Amino acid sequence: MSPDEWLDALAGELRRAGVPADLVGSVVAEAATHLRDSGAPPASVFGQPAEYARAVAESVGWPDARQLRPGPGPVRLEAHGITKAYRRRPVLTDVHLTVRAGQVAAVIGANGCGKSTFLRICAGLASPDQGTVRVHGTLGYCPQDGGTSEFLTSDEHFMLVGAGRGLSRSAARGEGRAHAADLDWAAADHTQARHLSGGTRQKLNLVMSQLGEPDVLLLDEPYQGFDRGTYLNFWQEVLRWRDSGKAIVVVTHLLNQLDRVDIVLDLNARERVA
Amino acid sequence: MLAMRESYGYELSQWLEASGLGPVQGGTLYPVLLRLQRSGLVEADWREGGSGPVRKYYRISAAGLETLRLTTSDWHAFAHHVDAILREVPAR
Repeated sequence: MSPDEWLDALAGELRRAGVPADLVGSVVAEAATHLRDSGAPPASVFGQPAEYARAVAESVGWPDARQLRPGPGPVRLEAHGITKAYRRRPVLTDVHLTVRAGQVAAVIGANGCGKSTFLRICAGLASPDQGTVRVHGTLGYCPQDGGTSEFLTSDEHFMLVGAGRGLSRSAARGEGRAHAADLDWAAADHTQARHLSGGTRQKLNLVMSQLGEPDVLLLDEPYQGFDRGTYLNFWQEVLRWRDSGKAIVVVTHLLNQLDRVDIVLDLNARERVA
Repeated sequence: MLAMRESYGYELSQWLEASGLGPVQGGTLYPVLLRLQRSGLVEADWREGGSGPVRKYYRISAAGLETLRLTTSDWHAFAHHVDAILREVPAR
């Protein structure tokens, strides 16, 4: 890892460790001057970025957000007895899911087991053969792909979606750019969506689903094409949204984050584990 | 060391090594400096040194000097007692 790469990685780890932004800048700059003065490789002076970030975070005495977490709030999403078949092939059979404010639910299962279909039903984009979905509050939905318009810039996306949620143009743009910055993306340029990379288009999708601060967020594997740092930031953000009282449903096939969610809906096993 | 004059991280690490306290790596040193700064025992600011580039300079605060005075006398008392015990151990 080159010194610059190491310093970039350090900045990401510090942010994820909850170190305030101004201190992140100072710690990274100080490490950079030390490395320039000593000419030594970063890993021998400071160790791995994650280890050093942890040591810094401990020195700062940053509170552990998990301890401050309030209990779950009122029910936001109720999916009851959802059943759906495509040409007689059953995809979903009697699926139940209840998510409260301040909870994250992960929907897992093999490819083709109906994860995306279930989410589309929750979003009201597909109708079940049987069963009901009740949403208490406003809803944001981030599809797995698509959802962006080739010839619009990110700002235009924000304003278009924002208009549908009662935001003024400048409010939508400001909110969109702020959410983008949380995902390490400077959205304030004038690139049309068709020229954005796949990962950046996914960020655009994700930001659009958050405009207007919906009470319920439905996210269908929204991190495809993200690099590792952005992927970790994404989960950090999900937990932050949860702690701010949102109800979140994430479709995922990656199991390494399941210990951080509140509810796991396994569509293979067809049963709910709370 | 900061009671003698203000300094920056890399210089302090070289100073520690030259004093015989072994290499103290940045990964250990800076978190300690940060803790001292947070507790108000040292102050720090970013600026250009006499010749060098912009660095974060640390200097001891009034509270730091007071703490240093107290811990210095504690240390001397402690070292004196340990010395006294060690003197009673028969040399072989």
